[in-house]
Amino acid sequence: MKTKVVGALALSTLLTTPALAQDNMEKLTNMQRTDATFTFIEQEGESADSLRNIIPHINVPEGFEVSLYAVVPDARSMALAPQGTVLFAGTRKDKVWSIVDRNRNRVADEVKDFAPSVTFDIPNGPCFSPDGFLYIAERNRVLVFPAAEFFFESPDIAVGTVVGQGDLIPVDEESFNHSARVCDIGPDGKLYISLGQPFNVQPVDKIDLYDEIGIGGIIRINTDGSGREVFTRGVRNSVGQDFNPATGELWWTDNQVDGMGDDIPPGELNRQTAAGQHFGFPWTNSRVVIVTEAEFPRPEGVEFIEPQLELTAHAADLGMRFYSDDSFPEEYHGGIFWAQHGSWNRTTPVGARVMFTALDPETGDAVGAQVFADGWLDEDTGEYRGRPMDIEFLPDGSMLVSDDFAGAIWRIAYNPEQAG
Amino acid sequence: MRRICGIVLGGLLLAGGLAGTVAAGDPKEGRKIANMCRTCHGLDGYARVPIAPHIGGEPKEYLEAQLMAFKTGQRENEMMSVVSSGLSAQQISDVAAWYASHTPVATLPDGVSAEAAPQACVSCHGADGISQLLDAPNLAGETNIYLDTQLKAFKRGQRQHEIMSEVAAALSDSEIRDLANWYAVIQLEIEIAEH
Repeated sequence: MKTKVVGALALSTLLTTPALAQDNMEKLTNMQRTDATFTFIEQEGESADSLRNIIPHINVPEGFEVSLYAVVPDARSMALAPQGTVLFAGTRKDKVWSIVDRNRNRVADEVKDFAPSVTFDIPNGPCFSPDGFLYIAERNRVLVFPAAEFFFESPDIAVGTVVGQGDLIPVDEESFNHSARVCDIGPDGKLYISLGQPFNVQPVDKIDLYDEIGIGGIIRINTDGSGREVFTRGVRNSVGQDFNPATGELWWTDNQVDGMGDDIPPGELNRQTAAGQHFGFPWTNSRVVIVTEAEFPRPEGVEFIEPQLELTAHAADLGMRFYSDDSFPEEYHGGIFWAQHGSWNRTTPVGARVMFTALDPETGDAVGAQVFADGWLDEDTGEYRGRPMDIEFLPDGSMLVSDDFAGAIWRIAYNPEQAG
Repeated sequence: MRRICGIVLGGLLLAGGLAGTVAAGDPKEGRKIANMCRTCHGLDGYARVPIAPHIGGEPKEYLEAQLMAFKTGQRENEMMSVVSSGLSAQQISDVAAWYASHTPVATLPDGVSAEAAPQACVSCHGADGISQLLDAPNLAGETNIYLDTQLKAFKRGQRQHEIMSEVAAALSDSEIRDLANWYAVIQLEIEIAEH
């Protein structure tokens, strides 16, 4: 009974605090004004200077050059608007950033929070439809902002709900880890959203529930939220996906089990050739057996698809993009770039780099991972200077790399004359 | 308020019981173990990723009790369950001693009065988010999503505590976010201890 005192105290206190941001969704839907204001991020000065001091440490192939594109706190997954004027970057906090390069000198001149009138909850994943609708996949909601690249200048912006709060996953399955969603619009016009499963290895009593909902998978829905299907099964926690523009197939990265040792199991790059394919988790990570079939009855009639590439264990392969521009040398055309965030509990840290694989022109399979850019990890001290998280490309074909540790977006351009 | 303190002491005794025979921790030994923690929590205990809390200058008793809870499965987290499973009781005590030895300095934002702090929280967590009790964590400067997630975990029973489960059960999701925002905007600095 004593604890009731505390409960009552809490309730009476809270009633006096103003009800805040949650109400804004209703106002915005009705095109009403709120009193929200922007937060601007300083692009020059001390923090930009210290970020620029990291650049000499970054190694890129000959002919490429690295620069600081923008100072963006906690920058995660990125989406460039179709007209190329505004870049949006999600975070694992409560902000989505809009990043503008008005004078097209390939350095951002304004970074401010997008839709400050909306109370975001882990808005990690922005993605655009070709006709300019910006989707934002949060921990447990999906929002849509029509014509975001034209309306982002206002703190009050038209917003719609694709998947309502609490309808992406059951609220009892919410966690902070493995809740950074990514999304993409597929060639079929549907919205594809990754749903990490919240455990290292999910307990056996969650298997059926998760398989049905698509937790530990990738779901697809119509852009109005209807027609939900589980598109990908047997995933642990995927935080990077892209459609191959040449074939329309979905490729995605996956993060593998911790606690089995420094060198197993390998990270994965996967190629999906049909809806509903199962990639083995939690039974297997690649060819490494994770749980026994005695304890975890294996689903019947299901073939596990093996990854295209086995990657350095614990390096944390995250955001990925096909290269379909042409300013990079020909060897990169049609291949995949992806960000390795870097390990968190390996004895000797590994990762924090940008990786690349070409595809075999005959089979369309990945030919093998190579390091494209590294140096964000200080090998002497094991400390991170930065941690690459996602890849995006500007209209000129140069690469952007988001870094949620340093709080930056880096640009890597091919410029053989300048770079010498 | 006296009643509340009684309950807190009860919780503390339970936590002490959980931690068992743990002896005094050695912060110098703990400094070595902290190499396992630093990618997320920093060597000074100032978190480097949003999903991890700041732990520098946290009460040693709280840190020990949480690590033991992860180790025994009483509290679950994808990363911490893995990390804690490999630690002995002595190592837990040592690493807790390392992080507890630092000093947290919390500063309210300009123009914000401590009197406006959420009264439901202040007696244990302080108006500025610095713990008033051995069994309570510091909340100053934690990511609002971290605090939001923990309060919801208490509300839904995924995490349990004699006081917090009851407090959180009475809160709506938007009230939870408002409380989380109060502590998230407090500026935290951690003064690292010399050993």
